[in-house]
Amino acid sequence: MKNLNVFGYPLFIVFMAALPLGLDARWQEVAISFLVFSVVALSQDIVLGKCGIFNMGQALFFGMGAYCTAILNNEYGWSLLSTIPVAILIPALFGILLAGPIMHLRGDYLLVTTIGFNIVFVQAVQNNLGGVTGGPNGIFGLDSLSLFGHEFTDQVAVYYFAFAVMLLTLWIMRNLEHSKAGRALHYLRLDPLAAESIGINTRLYKIFAFGLGAGIAGLAGTVFVAQFTAVSPEGFGFMQSVLFFSIVIVGGSSVPGIFLGVFVMFVLPEVFSPLATWRYFIFGFAMIAAMILRPRGIWPAKFGNIPKFLIKESNHGG
Amino acid sequence: MAGNDLVLTGVTKRFGGLVAVDDLSFSVKEGQIYGIIGPNGAGKTTAFNCITGIYRSEEGSVKWRGEEIRGLTPYQIVDRGIVRTFQTIRLFSEMSVAENIMSGRHIKSSQSWWHGIFPTPGSRRDEKENWLRVQEQLEFFDLQDYATTPTGSLSYGMQRRVEMARAMAVEPTLLILDEPAAGLNDKETCELLQTIYKIRDKGVTVLLIEHDMDMVMEMTDYLSVINFGRKIAEGTPAEVQANPAVIEAYLGSEDDDE
Repeated sequence: MKNLNVFGYPLFIVFMAALPLGLDARWQEVAISFLVFSVVALSQDIVLGKCGIFNMGQALFFGMGAYCTAILNNEYGWSLLSTIPVAILIPALFGILLAGPIMHLRGDYLLVTTIGFNIVFVQAVQNNLGGVTGGPNGIFGLDSLSLFGHEFTDQVAVYYFAFAVMLLTLWIMRNLEHSKAGRALHYLRLDPLAAESIGINTRLYKIFAFGLGAGIAGLAGTVFVAQFTAVSPEGFGFMQSVLFFSIVIVGGSSVPGIFLGVFVMFVLPEVFSPLATWRYFIFGFAMIAAMILRPRGIWPAKFGNIPKFLIKESNHGG
Repeated sequence: MAGNDLVLTGVTKRFGGLVAVDDLSFSVKEGQIYGIIGPNGAGKTTAFNCITGIYRSEEGSVKWRGEEIRGLTPYQIVDRGIVRTFQTIRLFSEMSVAENIMSGRHIKSSQSWWHGIFPTPGSRRDEKENWLRVQEQLEFFDLQDYATTPTGSLSYGMQRRVEMARAMAVEPTLLILDEPAAGLNDKETCELLQTIYKIRDKGVTVLLIEHDMDMVMEMTDYLSVINFGRKIAEGTPAEVQANPAVIEAYLGSEDDDE
């Protein structure tokens, strides 16, 4: 755990910062997707992993952020970066509004409800809601990234944008672990009744987690648009939500576990692309095997996040 | 009526046709160690659940410091200074002892929800401050050596101590203990007794359910006896021990022997 913080994360960050230099255009594209999907998976981890809400509609908020950016760019000519506040706030607000009436539902019931939300969203954008979503073809021919009038056509710029968003997400995840709000999520997942009986407003913190997760997923949507300069409904369907859900469960709801999960789900299929459709067959079995052999995930989350002055020499285990 | 009193009047809780708590009234005075005893299934824990907001009683009133708290949620009741432990220990078993106790600081912490996203110097100070309070509880309950140990791997007696430490971290005015001695050996029970006295000496009122009659008779100032959801007797331990209704409830009436 300690080694991970001292060496693991800095090494990973330095590696990811230098990565585009060693990749050709096709693999740079894969690397950007890795970053974008990692951010969405981390946002799903806040909701599912930390808070224990069985949300199977995270792609909805990812898509909502992407559509916010695309519509503002396409209809009103906003630059992609200037849409960021909207692409975070609209999904976050929607997350809060949707979460309010369903948070009292138990795991499986809530899961079905979130699937419903996801389907409604996809149907709405497919049917060209308000005449701005472009129907089944989506919106294409959007601007590329630009900052202060300077346009970046190279996808390395998109890579570093995605990288910055991932760093921001990691920073928020770290802050959560060292805060009252973040701990409250762990408490209410492990034992809602005990959490409530020790003074935690479980409903409030569940909605907080849902809204925060939705906001971060929305931001990832902006990066997605910057990469493809287009959006279409199929990128944000139910299957995507299932993948994000599985990544958190298979990965084990820890940051390294989630990166590993995203790597296995989105990058390895590219490596094995000569195997064509068989690769998903292999991954299906890999997922099953992972859950049987390591039911708490490949890299389970660890606790014991306490200040040094409380740790005595003679500590027993832990 | 003095400041920190808990007064139950005519509290009734039904589950379908079953009346679990029937017209229960008692009052706990500030600074007391108050005991509730009764045979299994008498409705003691249900009564506690009605006080702490887990259940809402159909009738009656629960007044704390003169304020009606019936109908409030559990966390609102904790906010008013009433904290409980559970008969079946409910710790966050995968988490360390220190983190478990830290959960009791939740309500005392000055951080807002958004400090979880953007920390400020103030929220970092608050964080440090609360960990120091956790350290105090670790020392009070003699758990310093176990700060990083996951509570799931501790002995039953230790887990009871952690649960009390967690409750005390809230700095309650009224501490409610649901069978604190259940599953403890004689030595641990003895230590528990000393701990409860120490808690009382800090100015905390203690309300407890207990099966261990020796312990109840020794430590409580006043007690109520419940059977079939009704109060059948109350008084000082000596008074209650001499009460024929209590003897009947616990030992069966003389008629039963025939």
